Amino acid sequence: MSGEPPSNPKEVRKYLQQSHDRIFESNRKWASEQKAKHPEFFEKLAQGQSPDYLWIGCSDSRIPAEAVTGLEPGEMFIHRNIANLVCNTDLNVMSVVNYAVRHLQVKHIIVCGHYGCGGVKAAMTPKDMGILNPWLRNIRDVYRLHEAELDDIPGDNDKKYDRLVELNVIEQARNVIKTAAVQQSYEEKGFPVVHGWVFGFNDGLLKDLNINFEGELEKIKKIFDLTKTE
Amino acid sequence: MSSSILDAIDRIVAGNRVYAQQTSEQDPNAFKEWNKGQSPEVLWIGCADSRVPETTVCNCKPGEIFVHRNIANCVPADDISSASVVEYAVTHLKVKKVVVCGHTKCGGANAALADADLGQTLNTWLHPVRELRRKHKTELDKLPDDDARSLRVAELNVQQSLEVLRLHPAVKRAINERGLSLHGMIYDIGAGQLRLLEASGVKKTNGLWSPN
Repeated sequence: MSGEPPSNPKEVRKYLQQSHDRIFESNRKWASEQKAKHPEFFEKLAQGQSPDYLWIGCSDSRIPAEAVTGLEPGEMFIHRNIANLVCNTDLNVMSVVNYAVRHLQVKHIIVCGHYGCGGVKAAMTPKDMGILNPWLRNIRDVYRLHEAELDDIPGDNDKKYDRLVELNVIEQARNVIKTAAVQQSYEEKGFPVVHGWVFGFNDGLLKDLNINFEGELEKIKKIFDLTKTE
Repeated sequence: MSSSILDAIDRIVAGNRVYAQQTSEQDPNAFKEWNKGQSPEVLWIGCADSRVPETTVCNCKPGEIFVHRNIANCVPADDISSASVVEYAVTHLKVKKVVVCGHTKCGGANAALADADLGQTLNTWLHPVRELRRKHKTELDKLPDDDARSLRVAELNVQQSLEVLRLHPAVKRAINERGLSLHGMIYDIGAGQLRLLEASGVKKTNGLWSPN
C-alpha cells in the first residue's frame, strides 16, 4: 500500500475502493494458501486458543509481533498500544493481562519496545498533544525516574532516546510484575515469566534486556506484594 | 524456572533470527526503509486473540497496518489507550482507513452472553458488551445456538466501536477533510476469511461509510 492518493473526489473514491479491496484479496489469498499447506489448519484453530505467550508491544505498523517472532496464528496473545505502556489504572491493558494469565495461563509475558519509537520521541517533545498528554505522561515519568542516567548521555538526542526506549520497557515490565494476576500465578504455578525486549529496525533483531524476573519480583514484593488474598 | 518453560523463549528468539535473515534476503533494503519511519494506510483495531494476527491474515507486510488489539476489540468512549492510538494514527500518521475487526469464537463475546464473574477487571471491561447483549436480548434469543449468539454480539460490538470512533474529534475532522473511511469486519476463525459488515443507519456506498 503506497503511492500518493489522488485529489479529485471521484478518483479518491476509486482509490479508496481499490485499497479497500486489496485487503480482502490478500486475505483470500492467504487463507487458500494456508489451507493448501495444512488442510485442517482453520478447523483446529476454531476449537480454541492456548497461546504460550502474551506480547505487549507498540502499535507501530513495522512490528507485527507474530511475523517478527516467526509464530503461527494461535500461538501468541497480543496487546498493542502507543509505546507499549502498562499503566496500572488502564483497564484496557489490565483486562488483557488478566485474561492471558488467569484464563489462558500464558507461560511468558513479553514487553517489547523498539528503537525509533514515535511515542517516546513525542513524549520528549515539549508540546501540548491534547488527548495524548495523559498517555505520554507515563513516558515522561520514566524519564524522571532515570533522569540522572539519561542526562549524562553525551552527544545527540538519538542515544538518549534509545536508552529511554530501553528504560521504558524495563519500567513497563516492572508494572506487569506488580499485578496481582502475575504475582499470584507465579507463586502458585511457577509462571508466567516476564521479559523485556527491544526490536531494532537496522537489523530486524530482538534484543533481550535481560530482566532478572525472579530478582525483580522479589524487590517489587517488598512494596507491592499481592500474593496474599484476604 | 524449568527448562521447558525457557525453551519456548528460545523458539521465538530463533524465529526472530530467521525472520531477520529472510527479510533481508528478500529485500536487502527492507530494514533500511523501515528505519526511516512508518506511513501505514490502515489503523486496525482488533481482538488480542492469538488466532487473528492482522498482518498475517491480511497477507500484508510490516509497515502497512498500525495496530491496537485488546479484549474483544472494544473502543469505550472513556478509554485513554485506544483514544491515544486513534489520535496518533489519524492526526499524526494520517491513516486513510480505520478497521474494527471482531471475530467468530471470541472469548470476550462469548463471556458476554452470560454474567459469570470473571474478576472485577474483566467484568468492568466487558460491561458494555454485556449491556449490548441485554439491549438485543429479543433478537439474540431467536438465534439457534451460543455460537450464533456470540457472533451476533461480536457484530454488534464492532458497530458499537464504530459509533464511538465516529464521535472522536480527530476522526470526524479527517472524514470531512480528507475522506477517512471506517470499516467494520468479522474474521471467521474456522475459514480464515474476513467479511465486511454492512453499516447500519448511516449513508454508505460499496461498504464504505461516509459522513452525511
